[in-house]
Amino acid sequence: MSDTYLNLVNTGFTKKVAKQLGLPQPAPLRRYEPGQPLLQGAVLVLGRGSESDALAGYLSADWDLDVHRHATPGTRYSAVVLALTELTHPDQLAEPVLAAGAVLKSLPKGARVVTVSRASRADDAPAVAAARQGVDGLLRSLAKELRGGSTGNGVVLAADVPVTAPSVVGALRFFLSTKSAFVDGQLLAVDSAAGTLPEDWSAPLAGRVAVVTGAARGIGASIADTLARDGATVVAVDIPAAGEQLVTVANRVHGTALQLDVTADDAGARILEHALQRHGRLDIVVHNAGITRDKLLANMAPDTWDSVLAVNIASQLRINEALLTSGDFTDAPRIVSLASTSGIAGNRGQTNYAASKGGVIGMVRATAPLLEAFGGTANAVAPGFIETEMTARIPAVTRQVARRLNSLQQGGQPVDVAETVAFLASPAAGGVVGRVLRVCGQNLVGQ
Amino acid sequence: MARPTTPTPEVRRAYVLGGNRIPFARAGGPYVRASNQDMLTAAIDGLVARYGLQGERIGEVAAGAVLKHSKDFNLTREAVLGSALSAETPAYDVQQACATGLETVVSLSNKIRLGQLESAIAGGVDSTSDAPIAVSNRLRRALLDLSRAKTVGQKLAAVSKIRPKDLAPVAPNTGEPRTHLSMGEHQALTTAQWEITQAAQDEIALASHQRLAAAYDSGFFDDLVTPFRGLTRDANLRADSSLEKLAKLKPAFGLGLDTPATMTAGNSTPLSDGASTVLLGSADWAAAHDLVPLASVVDAEAGAVDFVHGDDGLLMAPAFAVPRLLARNGLTLADVDLVEIHEAFAATVLTTLAAWESEEFGRTRLGLDGAFGTVDRARLNVHGSSLAAGHPFAATGGRIIATVSKELHRRKEATGAPVRALVSVCAAGGLGLTAILEAA
Amino acid sequence: MTPGGATTTVLLPEVPSLGGLYARGAGLSLARRMRPGPSALPDVEYVVRGVQSSSEHLTDYQHLLGESGSDELPAGFVHVLAFPVATALMVRSDFPLPLVGLVHLANRVTQLRPLRLGDVLDVRATATDLRPHRSGTQVDLVTEVSVDGSVAWRGVSTYLARGVFLAGTVTEPSETFVPPTPTGRWKLDGDVGRRYAAVSGDRNPIHLSALSAKALGFPRAIAHGMYTASRALADVGAGRGDAFEWAAEFVKPVLLPGTVTVRIARSSEGFAFAGWDARSGKPHLTGSVTPLR
Repeated sequence: MSDTYLNLVNTGFTKKVAKQLGLPQPAPLRRYEPGQPLLQGAVLVLGRGSESDALAGYLSADWDLDVHRHATPGTRYSAVVLALTELTHPDQLAEPVLAAGAVLKSLPKGARVVTVSRASRADDAPAVAAARQGVDGLLRSLAKELRGGSTGNGVVLAADVPVTAPSVVGALRFFLSTKSAFVDGQLLAVDSAAGTLPEDWSAPLAGRVAVVTGAARGIGASIADTLARDGATVVAVDIPAAGEQLVTVANRVHGTALQLDVTADDAGARILEHALQRHGRLDIVVHNAGITRDKLLANMAPDTWDSVLAVNIASQLRINEALLTSGDFTDAPRIVSLASTSGIAGNRGQTNYAASKGGVIGMVRATAPLLEAFGGTANAVAPGFIETEMTARIPAVTRQVARRLNSLQQGGQPVDVAETVAFLASPAAGGVVGRVLRVCGQNLVGQ
Repeated sequence: MARPTTPTPEVRRAYVLGGNRIPFARAGGPYVRASNQDMLTAAIDGLVARYGLQGERIGEVAAGAVLKHSKDFNLTREAVLGSALSAETPAYDVQQACATGLETVVSLSNKIRLGQLESAIAGGVDSTSDAPIAVSNRLRRALLDLSRAKTVGQKLAAVSKIRPKDLAPVAPNTGEPRTHLSMGEHQALTTAQWEITQAAQDEIALASHQRLAAAYDSGFFDDLVTPFRGLTRDANLRADSSLEKLAKLKPAFGLGLDTPATMTAGNSTPLSDGASTVLLGSADWAAAHDLVPLASVVDAEAGAVDFVHGDDGLLMAPAFAVPRLLARNGLTLADVDLVEIHEAFAATVLTTLAAWESEEFGRTRLGLDGAFGTVDRARLNVHGSSLAAGHPFAATGGRIIATVSKELHRRKEATGAPVRALVSVCAAGGLGLTAILEAA
Repeated sequence: MTPGGATTTVLLPEVPSLGGLYARGAGLSLARRMRPGPSALPDVEYVVRGVQSSSEHLTDYQHLLGESGSDELPAGFVHVLAFPVATALMVRSDFPLPLVGLVHLANRVTQLRPLRLGDVLDVRATATDLRPHRSGTQVDLVTEVSVDGSVAWRGVSTYLARGVFLAGTVTEPSETFVPPTPTGRWKLDGDVGRRYAAVSGDRNPIHLSALSAKALGFPRAIAHGMYTASRALADVGAGRGDAFEWAAEFVKPVLLPGTVTVRIARSSEGFAFAGWDARSGKPHLTGSVTPLR
């Protein structure tokens, strides 16, 4: 789906006009392509302490980045990492934050600012908790200042999680990379040191078998493409009626097509049977299949409510139960479920949809602990406004407004959701337990 | 120095590993713009997607179409080249009228049985919507003469032979070339000969619709059919059909006979568009590709009747082929758990069954002591057949084989006991092809 | 009676063209109709030696009639080659019946052994058995084709001259025709008469167009009787064998364009055939092909 406005304000005469009128100036986002370097320039790592040093050392040694600990005048940093895990008082924020502020104006387009901090807890000393929680507020605000497709995100470590734990490093790399192009203003919690780093960052899912539901088109098709690109063997699932497009996807990703209604009682068993029979294992399930039946609650018919709940949440619960009780979903399994910003912030006319998507958030939170013993996790991805066939049906003016209501002033692409899914499905994300990661360009709605 | 002798090949089993077809459309329906190549490619691609065969070099792909454009001389190979299979997959075209699809299964299975092939895809396709239109014979000859003409005089002579009426295009018809009777008219003669009533035909048609609808509703076709051009189920399927509705239809064939005309549009197959494929392989190939054998293709027998001189009905060849096939395998109709008789017309099924149940036919035509036997209707076309699904001529064999193989496997999984199926397809030209399959 | 028994032999240098013969016949016919009644047949045989056919002619014939494309000459094709010799006899001034308006009533061919492309054929024709018919007078034209002095093919074509009466009694049972179960259908286009005329040389105007047929009293053009008999023979196919007797009786003419419903089926002796109008139930032709063993 194309965004005409975005194209207009970035080309030729119309670009000039838009600038003079002070119209929103969304920048084209740079997205991941195989072989792309992680960063195109030096990275400035700010913050004091041994953990900050350790992180800087890791970026330099393991990823071969050009790491600066102090801003060198005249350098255009492609990324700024604020290593803030050792803060004990809000007073300590000023030095690194202001140092970051000093380079913001010289950041190139598509730059990255990432904070690495620790979660504040009730049993922290008040000053420590204040400093830690302060990072959240500052990151979200900083992200809103960034322009030119630059993003700001944060990794929030639970106590005792080392700064070089797989999920910290994995999340940091995701946020630094173009894979997180439409993820902005988000703070991702890393709950444990679980997870493993890939031998090859270009194929983090090598050897893994993934099932993607609703894979025939849109976001699901993009997830299938992305998981396959990352090395996974993909089972593309969709309802029989979508079989024609499903074939295209399955053949494109060299996977297999499984025509299946996810609401069928035996859907979980059939998914597992197909994956085990055809591919010998099952590691990743992406619950992407979903429908909308928008209606004001005052006008909601039981069928309209039931069908959305049945497809969007009840089917996932039933399939997960089948997987968890099978004994065949135990090798660092990953469940990634599609939530929605509607499920977080609410949306008029979507009580049914929001209930199902809120349900997804609750489901992954409660499912993740059940998988922890096997090194598994369950997490959710909450897309904001994504340019799909579904959003293309929104009335034109509403669509234009919806697109601009975020810090990046544009809608995301299906691949942005897919990249986030791929990250959460990766072995490196084993320490992210029952969380929700928004892919919304820092949408103005909700949390 | 002794030269090595060529070893005689061991015969092994050939298995049906799966199938895929697109829903069958009615002529002039959603596939009206789709060519045979489009549909066959879609059916192959769906098979590739279902079984993860992208880039795979399959041993051989054989398929065909009954109504074929001359540009489709290499139809199957062209479909393979347009598919997700390896471009190094060989292919060839087969044509045996409505038995084309089944013949591809039989011949490829035999190659697998002999060790010539490890894997194969059998198939068929037909479009009555995109049927070839030819120029008249006289125009064609004149144009060929013109192309060979060297002098102006020769060219003028060639052109001068063309008459205005020669310019009218010639559409294909399903009439028999030697008798110029349509298939329906031929069947009407046989129907009258065996005194088959419209009520009996309507019952066959109703069962076909009800059973096919039930199979769709239960998800049976989820891994046999891939939608195409927005069509998700066979367009001809009427789940709400009833004997009352069928009885109201006007007879369509047999009107010129002095016996009651009993064959209607409801108990005859409509002209259809569609394509089907069947994945075949050896046990080793199946194991190496993590595929479950569904059924093995045990044996096959072709037959033909002299309908030109009125000896037998046009579509009665299977009535002769099946007794030979079963006898060769030491079987009787009672040993067969599933019977698939292609429903060219409901009356075709009924005249075949009537012939087998006839003492006289058994003695005088089959050379038996009495009647050949009776088919338990509960075993007949258990998931419906062509009356409900439609009948894109060459695609019907693949539809039947994939459907019955899945059912055979399902029954064996449930009971553990051996399960056997008989498949019978009648065809134009007085042809018939029949086969035995066994659950793997 | 064999043609060899005639006292006079007329040796023609080549098979004459039917067109020329008809032109002559037309002139003579007017004169003959003036006569009070036919008397006797001329005691003469017509002979053409060294007749050969071309592969183009044979192929055109085979395609039109639905015969297999072999080098064997279909019995109907031999008729096409040989019959003009009999026609030459019929346009003699002493032949008692008028050529124009003669109706082909029946045809019987005995094929003793196959003839092939390249065989050099000798053709002899005689007229025999002038006899009364309820509508006039009929006569048999007997044509024999031999290779190297040995007869391979013998045809007897029975013609009727309407309204030309002989003395004597007519004994012809009129059997009622009951249409049997059909085995096929011939759909005959309006140009079938012209197309058969092109391969047979028989350009009798009654076959060529509605206009020319009307001039001779037919509502539309009619198919050649030999076209229908030859198609029936082709439909019998290889089952006729190398040697057979092929007999046809022409009952009602087939108006063109038209549809003939046919039954061509095995009988106790060989094959029986019939063609009729499905709507009226009236027969166009009946006949048989009987293998000789």
